[in-house]
Amino acid sequence: MKADGGLYYDRYSVNGRDEWLMRIGEAEAPPILFLPPLFEEMNRIRALLAGIMRGVAALGFGCWLPDLPGTGESERALEDCGWTDWRDAARDAGRCASRNSGKPVVVASVRGGALLEDVVEACGYWRFAPVDGASLARDLARSKLAGGGGSAGYPTPDALLTALAAAAPAEPERLRTLRLDSDPRDADLKLDGPALWRRSEPDTSSELCGALGSDIAEWAARCAAC
Amino acid sequence: MPTTRGLSVALSDAGDVDATLRAVLADVLGIARDRVDRFDEATALFGALPEFDSMAVAGLLTELEERLGILIEDHEVDADMLETYGALLTFAKAKALR
Repeated sequence: MKADGGLYYDRYSVNGRDEWLMRIGEAEAPPILFLPPLFEEMNRIRALLAGIMRGVAALGFGCWLPDLPGTGESERALEDCGWTDWRDAARDAGRCASRNSGKPVVVASVRGGALLEDVVEACGYWRFAPVDGASLARDLARSKLAGGGGSAGYPTPDALLTALAAAAPAEPERLRTLRLDSDPRDADLKLDGPALWRRSEPDTSSELCGALGSDIAEWAARCAAC
Repeated sequence: MPTTRGLSVALSDAGDVDATLRAVLADVLGIARDRVDRFDEATALFGALPEFDSMAVAGLLTELEERLGILIEDHEVDADMLETYGALLTFAKAKALR
């Protein structure tokens, strides 16, 4: 399915069930699989992610973004999804991008997306502001207390939360990590910019978008040459 | 069990804690960094800044945990600790520099 501005909606199959895979750029271009932040952070970062994908596609890459089962336009209910469904979805979306392009993928993850990337068969891994699952689980619990509803509006299954709390980013080969310069943790590169995943209203930053996009493109080109 | 990379921090400097706290407040509240840089010990926070609601408190605590490499228990959080910038900084230093 083709939309305007080089935007396409493909389908990928997770354990026999179809989910949506958004693509910006040509299907045959060197593929980058984007793994989004999880839960509410996904909505807050959506504009930044779309901006990054447009920028990276303009540099000649195919940018693929899956809807995880139970999120976005998925026909499955989040209540019925487990941590394994999301891990399988990352793996299968990566295979789909690789098969359609005929080239190995590079994974680019933001925040909690880093918890899913090690299952993707990729020639390189890039992450921005990765986070432990335990921290995301604590944030969901706090938001629930503060907001008085489900986990920040998400009817999150207990089993998924338990698995999330035990998840930590893996350390694959050919990994590059970026963080904000206001974050004291280790990184290969630190960038000036806002922690948009903390904003109560979705927002974006064109400077951050441009800096992240060009770093992804450089890293992907280097990994593809390995 | 996968190993973690760069998720542990050891801040040894009170100035680092101050800078991290200001950065987190600017990020969570969505207010300009130069305004946060003018906060002093007596600047009133919770109850005085309209941006600082209970959801912002939740985000502040989690982001401080991540960036300072600390854990904050629910019973440690009260109105006094969130009342002024000075009180919040004292709390963050006590947690991060112990």
